[in-house]
Amino acid sequence: MVTFEAVSKVFTDGTEAVKELDLDVGEGEFVVLIGPSGCGKTTSLKMINRLEENTSGRIRVNGRDIRSVDPVQLRRGIGYVIQEIALWPHMSVAENIGIVPRLLGWDSGRIDARVDELLVLAGLDPAKFRHRLPDQLSGGQKQRIGVLRALAADPPVVLMDEPFGALDPITRDVLQSELKELNKSLRKTIVFVTHDMDEALKLADRVVLMRQGKIEQMGSPEEIQNAPANDFVRSFIGEDRLASISPESSLEILLHDPFLRVAPGEDPRDVLERMEDDGLETAQVVDARGNWMGMLYLPVLKRTLRNRGTLREAVRRNRKLVLEEAVMRDAAEMLADMDLSIPVVNRENEFLGVVTSGSLARLAIGRLSRSRKEENA
Amino acid sequence: MFPPERTFWELFVTYVSENWPRILALTGQHVMISGIAVCITLLICIPLGIYLTKREKLASVVIGVANVFQTIPSLALLGFLIFVFGIGNDNAICALVLYAVLPVLQNTYTGLRNVSPVMIQAARGMGMTETQILLKVQLPLARSVIIAGIRVATVWVIGTATLASAIGGGGLGKLIFAGLGALRQEVVLAGALPATVLALLADQGLKMLQNHFEPRRRALRLARKYAAEESVREEKDVPGEEMVRHEM
Repeated sequence: MVTFEAVSKVFTDGTEAVKELDLDVGEGEFVVLIGPSGCGKTTSLKMINRLEENTSGRIRVNGRDIRSVDPVQLRRGIGYVIQEIALWPHMSVAENIGIVPRLLGWDSGRIDARVDELLVLAGLDPAKFRHRLPDQLSGGQKQRIGVLRALAADPPVVLMDEPFGALDPITRDVLQSELKELNKSLRKTIVFVTHDMDEALKLADRVVLMRQGKIEQMGSPEEIQNAPANDFVRSFIGEDRLASISPESSLEILLHDPFLRVAPGEDPRDVLERMEDDGLETAQVVDARGNWMGMLYLPVLKRTLRNRGTLREAVRRNRKLVLEEAVMRDAAEMLADMDLSIPVVNRENEFLGVVTSGSLARLAIGRLSRSRKEENA
Repeated sequence: MFPPERTFWELFVTYVSENWPRILALTGQHVMISGIAVCITLLICIPLGIYLTKREKLASVVIGVANVFQTIPSLALLGFLIFVFGIGNDNAICALVLYAVLPVLQNTYTGLRNVSPVMIQAARGMGMTETQILLKVQLPLARSVIIAGIRVATVWVIGTATLASAIGGGGLGKLIFAGLGALRQEVVLAGALPATVLALLADQGLKMLQNHFEPRRRALRLARKYAAEESVREEKDVPGEEMVRHEM
């Protein structure tokens, strides 16, 4: 339905926004372009309705090279939901929604009927909302109208540029669900831009993750989550989103900085004081080169100090995990045995961070709340 | 014997009652001079303002020049223009236009420039042509600012038009200058009062126009109109199914 063939975009200042992009969006497919800012996702979207002109390559919509179509005609045939909603404040809701039909020359009776039909579709009472002004609507209502405006002339393809970005999380969640539900019946081909991975995973049939004008990975939400192609994808998905984590997964996403890190030469009495002040059970001893020297337990440290021992005598080195060898199950078992931070090192004994019951709990919370969201959606 | 002393108000009332056809005629002239000046200003400045939004560098130059005219004392400008247009109303109208240019031009330009680019991009993305964007989005959104500029210009023009008679033009200025020359304050007032009333009326009229276009009022009007049509439709009992159905 929408095809990119080696499409590039170089701005006049020389910035390469999009590099040799190849993408084929099928009919009725919901494709989400996602990536950090400046990755070329919005530019790619705007090239489809020629708000930006590609500098090389070819874009086809419905089989036709868009360069062969007058941009104004092209845009009237493609729905467009703009980032800041941008309902025209001087026009009523009905006029905003009916703009493309009016541009296409529909008669007013047909436009009115279509507007009412769409309002009902979005769960808004036409009699109540038809003549409201955008100023008289809530953020969520405005955005619904923005979506309806794009659907008014029943275009086969709809472009959405971060449509829910300005909404509060709850409204956003509701509107995402509505959109998903709506498109089950409408079966529009949708190209949707966002920088929110949750949104992408929730809405997309296919996620296209972009960076620096190129596609890093493309696939269904499950594929992206189960098999991130590289570290960038992994970091972009974010640790709390790796819903597919198993007991055999790497510990990496559980790592975080220790609450207290001390140098081997420090006075043990100072260390004890800091631990007591902050209510910490453990501290990690790391030397200047980043090597792990051991771990301090509060009771052991106290006992050592009573016997006028040194910091070196207080450290314990038996509790640790090596990143390359350990999996989550190991961490979970150790934590079940004793609920204290586990230092994690690599094979070179470099200190990487700690795993705590808190980090495991966060992961579990993330997974549970996510599956709940999916059920609702 | 001198005639008995009469108060200023008696003199004024007598003057007006004896000379009202002349006052009316001069008021008419005044309206005409001001009206023509404002119309010419609008015809020049609104298209120019629109054009300037697309030519930013030129805009600062043109608005700068308009600013200069504003700073020339009005009487001096009128005097100077005698060399160009000779004496009479043409000269006066021309001077008035030069005066009125700045507020209209500036407000047209600023009003259009202040329309959020997002609104324009939305319009373009929906498939409006550049002309449609201008007519359906930019001008309506800039309208109240533009009308505000026209209000300022109109009030100035009506006030300044009294100077037209100083260079052989007509209008209420004739009474004012005649009164000043003859030391008859009632005559001055007979010219000044209608000029003031004219300015106030024009200002109020334009203010009402500004309000008329206010989105909320417009929306209310639309809603009422729709409700009226709806009831008519129901009476005729036109079935709603006649409307085109859309396959979703």
